[in-house]
Amino acid sequence: MSFHVVKREACPLWKKACFYLLAVLAALTLGGLLLLAMGVNPLAYYSRMFTMGMVGNKIAYKAFENYLKVFVPLALTSVALSLAFKMRFWNIGGEGQFIMGAIAAATVALKLGSSLPNAVTLILMCLAAMLAAGLYGVFVAALKVKFGTNETLMTLMLNYVALYILAFLGDRKADWNFFLQAESVRPVFQSFADVAAFPKIMLGKFGLNLCVLLTFAVGAVIFVYLKYTKQGYEISVVGDSAGTAHYAGMKVNTIVLRTVFLSACLIGLAAAFKVGTAGVLSTAITDDVGWTGIIVAWLSQLNTAVIFVVSALISMLHYGSVAAAASFSRVDSSFANMLQGVILFLVLTADFFIRFRIVRTQKGGKDNGNG
Amino acid sequence: MPEQYAIEMRGITKTFGSVVANNNINLNLRQGEILALLGENGSGKTTLMNMLSGIYAPDAGQILVDGQPVTISSPEDSKRLGIGMVHQHFKLVDVFSAADNIWMGREKPGFALKRQRYDEIEQMSKKFGFDIDPKKKVRNMAVSEKQTLEIIKVLYYGAKVIILDEPTAVLTVQEIEKLFSVLRRMKEAGHSIIIITHKLNEVMDISDRVAILRKGEYITTVNTAETNEQELTEWMVGRKIDLNIDRPVVEKTRPLLEIRDLTIKNDEGATAIDKVSFYIRGGEILGVAGIAGCGQKELCEAIAGLRPVQSGLMIHKGDNIVGLPPKAILEKGISMSFIPEDRLGMGLAPSLSITDNMILKNYADARGLFVDRKSGRADALRVIEELEVVTPSTETPVRRLSGGNVQKVLLGREIKAGPNVIVTAYPVRGLDINSSYAIYDILNQQKKDGVGILFVGEDLDVMLALCDKIMVLCHGRVMGVVHAHKTSKEELGLMMTGALDLTDKHEDKPAGIARDTNITAEHLESAREEEN
Amino acid sequence: MKKFLALVMAMAMTLSLVACGNAGSGSASGSGAETAELTVGAIYINSKNDTAGYTFAHHNGIVNGMKKLGLDPDKQLFIVDEVPEDKQQVLAAVDTLVGQGADIIFGISFGYIDAMEEAAGLYPEVIFSHGTGYKSNETNFNNYFGRAYQARYLAGIAAGLKSLETGNNNVGYVAAYTTAYAETASGINGFALGVQAANPDAKVYVKNLGNWADEVNEKAYAEELINTFGCGVISQHCDSAQPQIAAENAGVFGCGYNSDMTGDAPKAHLTAAIWNWDVYYATAMQAAMDCAGDASKFVETMGGPAYYGGLKEGFVDVSPLSANCAANTDKAIEAVKAMMVNGEWDVFTGVKLSIAADGTVTSADAALVDNAGNEIVAAGGPSVEDGVITGSMNYLVAGVEEV
Repeated sequence: MSFHVVKREACPLWKKACFYLLAVLAALTLGGLLLLAMGVNPLAYYSRMFTMGMVGNKIAYKAFENYLKVFVPLALTSVALSLAFKMRFWNIGGEGQFIMGAIAAATVALKLGSSLPNAVTLILMCLAAMLAAGLYGVFVAALKVKFGTNETLMTLMLNYVALYILAFLGDRKADWNFFLQAESVRPVFQSFADVAAFPKIMLGKFGLNLCVLLTFAVGAVIFVYLKYTKQGYEISVVGDSAGTAHYAGMKVNTIVLRTVFLSACLIGLAAAFKVGTAGVLSTAITDDVGWTGIIVAWLSQLNTAVIFVVSALISMLHYGSVAAAASFSRVDSSFANMLQGVILFLVLTADFFIRFRIVRTQKGGKDNGNG
Repeated sequence: MPEQYAIEMRGITKTFGSVVANNNINLNLRQGEILALLGENGSGKTTLMNMLSGIYAPDAGQILVDGQPVTISSPEDSKRLGIGMVHQHFKLVDVFSAADNIWMGREKPGFALKRQRYDEIEQMSKKFGFDIDPKKKVRNMAVSEKQTLEIIKVLYYGAKVIILDEPTAVLTVQEIEKLFSVLRRMKEAGHSIIIITHKLNEVMDISDRVAILRKGEYITTVNTAETNEQELTEWMVGRKIDLNIDRPVVEKTRPLLEIRDLTIKNDEGATAIDKVSFYIRGGEILGVAGIAGCGQKELCEAIAGLRPVQSGLMIHKGDNIVGLPPKAILEKGISMSFIPEDRLGMGLAPSLSITDNMILKNYADARGLFVDRKSGRADALRVIEELEVVTPSTETPVRRLSGGNVQKVLLGREIKAGPNVIVTAYPVRGLDINSSYAIYDILNQQKKDGVGILFVGEDLDVMLALCDKIMVLCHGRVMGVVHAHKTSKEELGLMMTGALDLTDKHEDKPAGIARDTNITAEHLESAREEEN
Repeated sequence: MKKFLALVMAMAMTLSLVACGNAGSGSASGSGAETAELTVGAIYINSKNDTAGYTFAHHNGIVNGMKKLGLDPDKQLFIVDEVPEDKQQVLAAVDTLVGQGADIIFGISFGYIDAMEEAAGLYPEVIFSHGTGYKSNETNFNNYFGRAYQARYLAGIAAGLKSLETGNNNVGYVAAYTTAYAETASGINGFALGVQAANPDAKVYVKNLGNWADEVNEKAYAEELINTFGCGVISQHCDSAQPQIAAENAGVFGCGYNSDMTGDAPKAHLTAAIWNWDVYYATAMQAAMDCAGDASKFVETMGGPAYYGGLKEGFVDVSPLSANCAANTDKAIEAVKAMMVNGEWDVFTGVKLSIAADGTVTSADAALVDNAGNEIVAAGGPSVEDGVITGSMNYLVAGVEEV
């Protein structure tokens, strides 16, 4: 008896939901067994995880604010990546573009923050971050267009270049290095929270950061952009078949450059939001959104609206598992990471079963020869 | 005692996703016969044969070789059982010599390449009357040579059963004759042969028996001597069908598109089209015949503005369109529906809906930032209605449509734009007979409306029936333009191989220059000087 | 998916409940703390399940400190671990811990410094205590570190006596950093002065790793010190035992760090400078409990904004001397340790100790000079230990060479 894989034509929504639900349940069961082995009650752990430690928390509003701080950069980065992915441009460089954006935003804040009104600083930070990240991304697109280089490798490598630039800035105390605190003997990033911070809209004790609203606004714009505009249409055609786009008279190279620039710009904006909320750089500034965003974009099948839902869920998993680990002495963040990994892996497996199905190979036919 | 078949397939079923490619198929091959496997494209012929050659495993069913049940789970199994298949797309290494291409698949011990391999293979090919140089590199071979090499390779590995998948598709009439005589000789030597085809005249010519498949179902097997083309067609298509193609007589206008001394390079930088001159009048269909890769593709792309032109002129209604961007050429009314090998590569965006494909060429004309899907949807509905496209809705991605419907969508869009010149390449490739006739009707309708049509085709019978004139290309050069009703397949075949050059004959004025051009002789002179 | 959505809704509901006010406490303490009722929060740079290294040492210290005071780490300790030196993530961790009702929060990594300071302002009702930092306030925020240089000095004596015994005056030191951090500079200097007390002719060669943990280079640098610079004793300021293992393999001797590395290099290891973090953690938690719910009294209760324990408090020490030590090492170390515990002498002063081969200790006034010839402390001058606390020590003493 043997099996083979067959592509599934269409999968009804309820079936998809079932597959995903099953995947999550399987992952939770697996995690639960591990938790039991560690002597931790899985139900207690999971209830904390799914409520992100907010039940019985005297400052739950803070937890939700922190959750949104995880959500905003992830959602925006995923939306940005989906733009490039839709065009089949595999921008794996979200991390690097994010870092470049963050450095640019921090430069503006540190250099101009004290002399300009907060609002102006913030706008300039966003623009600078978008420009820096955009150029960092479009550089790869230009190489691809001009020399046919592989964008996956290029963007991947440039992630490390950016990371090491940031690490260098964070490590090298020197007169020119305005990123570091002058008064500290050890290298510590200079804070600019007092001169450049996104305002919060206070709803009782809960402060709704302006970035959250802006992120949703950008998401809505991109949704419309991809679905209804000419440029969005061009992206779909180029992604589907570059030959056809060329044949239809589209300037394929221009479209590639423009879209990658826009994609990287939005990642820069995500970085500006992050930096403008944190008020300081750090070598861990990306929080891996450039990587996680790829998963989010994939799981969402590049649908902008779905990206927001998936980002919300993944952020919840991310934030919730850490919050839960805090109250269980035997469970550390590595376990939380592993659980996230297992859930994502199984959800991707479910994704596989939604796209394909496994069929048993039958043996033996009826003996009704034609001779 | 029942007859011992060379191959017996019982109840073979194979599905791809929800598509049943083969459903409970029974087929048997006698020792030493030539069996034609007949069916339209998509009827499951190749799939069935791929299960014999070990590329696919059947979902259900049984295969017997010489009366013994066997499991063929890889091409090696198939080879061991003495089954050899010559695929439609050759599986050869370009940079190797003929002998080495055969050599590399052998399982005999030994590490070093030995000189004697050349002799060994030369002897083999002599035995069957093949004409091949064992030291010649594959990349220097013509298509027919490559096919011969594939057959020798199969024989070298001791195949008793030889399967040929549409071997005649790439050959000229003369080469087909040669191939058939080789097959007859092989049959005499005791080999059993299955030949896949959908050309009825070949079936009648070569086979002893015919097995017919239709839409994945087994229909019947008959002795060739006891049947005729009409009967076979009915089995193949499932009902009676008129095999005649119309050629309406239309008042021809002056040349709409005139090509003069056009030279184009291919992707590798070699000359693909060499000083080609011809013209297309309104109200006629000009066929372009030639062996695959003789420059048809490059010619089409150049006319559409997708490929740079080295030298020469393309005069459309008096204006030289060389160097114009694709969009400008489009706006002048030259439409190209290029159907490349995979049918969906160029011309359509497969994952996009019919509506989105309708607006592909004019989306930019909409005012403002947004695309105008409303008119696209209206166009889609019109095309679906007028050309009888079978689709669930206007929002269905075109890759979900069947081949004929994809083609209709593509042609429908081109026609909707009201072009005065249509360039169409292989518009019926992969289509069943009904769809093909629907496409011919569409083209004839356009012709009646005064459109000039350049029809790049592959089936000479169709071209002889449909086109007004046929231009034959060989290695990028025009071998002549002939009137379709005055020529024959044999003549075309000779021209395609370069054996016959009619360019000096005056009656068809192949290089005739249109008179309505407003490009003067001085223009031409200066253009020529620039070149030099 | 539905479950997720349901939970999102649950989350939203929770939020609306919280917005009504956070009066319903229930679990948390914070008011009228009795003894053995303290909720401890900790933010770690690595995993709390580590089995060696920096985080492990602190985690051990906190757990043992809690046990000393009768607190239950399983119930009363909340940890957010693997928190990078990212202000926003540290503040989020603080929020989580405060949300769990933590009364005192320890942050163990230097890079948490600004986040800890900000958190102390945000949550005046909670005590913040930051390891290896230098920031503090007058109420609920202090910093802590130890006089590791004192233990280093003792280890230096063992190394110096050994070099005297083997007749090899070259001593090696694999350092995470050198003058970039006062912590590493004071470690090198303390050790070197200890070596010189026993063997005035000894020279200390330092290799700078430029990284707090880098096992490959830790080993490679130790080998380089042994092979190229002919060092006979290898000391280290890095997490792994690789330099000791290198010394063992080369047949030379070594002084470890952080834990007794005799097990790793039984034939090479002399003694290691070690930390007893539980000493501080127990002290701080006791002080927190003594505050009786008023976090603002913490700094006052601790007797100052910076806790800087040494040999006297038992915060730092040397591990038991191995059999590899030269004769009379134990005697010399005992004597010098007593001097530091009593407070009659300290390392960075204008008084120099000399240790004879028989282990007797004599002292004499001598200037403390750096390796560029600048006088740091005049002969007979007072201690410059402040330089170690505030992080201004950025020189290496005479007799030390960075290679």
